[in-house]
Amino acid sequence: MEIFWFGVLAALLLGYFALEGFDIGLGILLPVLGRSQDARDRLVGAMAPFVLAGEVWLVAVAGVLFGAFPSLEGEVLSGLYPLVVTLLLSWIVRDAGLWFRRRADGAIWRRVWDAAVCLGSTGLALTWGVILVALANGLSAPPLAGVAAGIVVALAFCLHGWTFAAWRLPGDPAVRGARRSGRALLLSACAAAAPAALALAAVGSGVVGYAAPPETLTTLGAIVLPCAPILIGAQIWVWRTFRRGALPTFF
Amino acid sequence: MDVVDLARMQFAVTGGLHFLFVLLTLGLAPLVAIMHTRYAAGGNPLHERMTRFWGQIYVINYALGIFTGLVMEFQFGLNWSGLSHYAGDVFGAPLAIETLVAFFLESTFLGLWIFGWHRLPKALHVACIWLVTLTAYASAFWIMVANSFLQHPAGAVEQGGRLVLRDFGALLTNPSLVFALPHVISAGLWAGGFVVMGASAYHLFRRTPEREFFTRSLRLGVWTSFIGSLFTVGFGYAQFGVIESVQQGKFDGAVPGGALGLMITIGQLGQFAVMFVLLPLLIKNWIARWRWLHPVLMLIVPLPFVAAIAGWLVREVGRQPWLVYGRLSVADAMTPGLSKAAVTGSFAAFAGVLGLLALVDYLLIARAVRRGPGQVALGMPDRPADPAPVPAHSL
Repeated sequence: MEIFWFGVLAALLLGYFALEGFDIGLGILLPVLGRSQDARDRLVGAMAPFVLAGEVWLVAVAGVLFGAFPSLEGEVLSGLYPLVVTLLLSWIVRDAGLWFRRRADGAIWRRVWDAAVCLGSTGLALTWGVILVALANGLSAPPLAGVAAGIVVALAFCLHGWTFAAWRLPGDPAVRGARRSGRALLLSACAAAAPAALALAAVGSGVVGYAAPPETLTTLGAIVLPCAPILIGAQIWVWRTFRRGALPTFF
Repeated sequence: MDVVDLARMQFAVTGGLHFLFVLLTLGLAPLVAIMHTRYAAGGNPLHERMTRFWGQIYVINYALGIFTGLVMEFQFGLNWSGLSHYAGDVFGAPLAIETLVAFFLESTFLGLWIFGWHRLPKALHVACIWLVTLTAYASAFWIMVANSFLQHPAGAVEQGGRLVLRDFGALLTNPSLVFALPHVISAGLWAGGFVVMGASAYHLFRRTPEREFFTRSLRLGVWTSFIGSLFTVGFGYAQFGVIESVQQGKFDGAVPGGALGLMITIGQLGQFAVMFVLLPLLIKNWIARWRWLHPVLMLIVPLPFVAAIAGWLVREVGRQPWLVYGRLSVADAMTPGLSKAAVTGSFAAFAGVLGLLALVDYLLIARAVRRGPGQVALGMPDRPADPAPVPAHSL
């Protein structure tokens, strides 16, 4: 039972890196790939329908941590205090950029929130790098290794984001006319998830010892497991609906 | 202020902001779902415009619910690791179910609904907003299960200095839950009804061309407020007996006592006003025709929100000094060794960023209301995936 819930935790974290990594990467690259407001709108329009379904994987990571590994949750989050605060602030700033950028007109308004998307995404990627090093290293990150990991995660996310854009907007000037297949997107998703996989491998069996008692885990399983097909089905529905065709304009 | 006070203040500010926004989410979601259903069933363009206009208000409001909710979720681990250490084996379960089942689906279906216009078949698109509503209410249920456990730790026993789960059913039938849940859900409907009323009154008062649109909306707002206020007040009074038996003296302090008085005043007067004044004015549409009434309807929009915050203060301040009532004090629940600098810094950052974004969000809601149903971004036609031809004189 403990091992099962560790598997769920790992799957959700890897899923977050694979499914949210391209949104964060595109956010970092927004000023580079989107030189004009029109190009930025197209890039955001391409990723917009996937953001809500992608970021929620991290919400679920925190939920599983609290439900199945409660004492670990307190130890990890408070042990990484400034990093978690930075991560949350970056996340909120990125999301605010996406939700607000089209809610009013005016060049300055649009620029401010596009900058928020880029700033927040960059903050997310760099903070994740440091957090992963800290997780693998007993909750403390040597500054140099942390910065290096932050850059690695940011680069992996950028690669994933660029591949996503070339897959969703094949031949678009924003990606210099490149086209990428679904298989390439799958590979870049693996690259985005690789840093998290390494950290999980380093932590590994240590997590299992923090699991809640069997009574709690069984109750959780009895309620969550029957819903799993719906969770997965809804995610597949999102991808099937928005992988091709015109670009939504709400974000 | 010492570290505990700062950490409490941080939780109160983010929790209070979160509550203001999710309250309206809970109230508007079913209304938007009903409008969308009527449009899908009958094809009346007015119903489509209502769905998009009120849906956009709902969605703009939703954004802040997410931002504040993220901080809420992680804050337990940041500042209150003593809670997860002592009671996490019990308290964590409903929170995990809320995130993993309810919110996970809510967020996924909300994305499908927002971006699915012109893309999903009509029936499935309507199904999305109903699923969003259903999962939002499921979220409210699990959060209230968790909160009720803090009020009255049923279903758990202490073993080796920690609480362990003995009876999950007792968590779900907690006496602190059974009346409080419908109370807070009805309060959401009331808030949603007042927002719809106030925004409609604005357009009727300004004599904008959308008379039919806002007359219908106003009537819907009155009915929603009537149902919401009736059940809010009923389930409010119903809680006194429970509180007397599980948390004696809850209202003794100055803050819970004062907040209780304020809530009951607003609740009772508001409910009477809706039932005996606004509801009869639906006859012959007097409510839409009496223009002098409309500024009043705009002014009273904040009242259900003020009452909700007051009610939340009664429930949470009245629980002090306990975090888990009778078991774990707030001071003992704080993360061991939490530094004043860390809490002060995170408090300033969260309160500053969320406060600013909340202000921007309310201004955006006001702007969307003012612009009316003629200029709604939600449900606008998609743009072709092929890039527009580059203009010759591009800068």
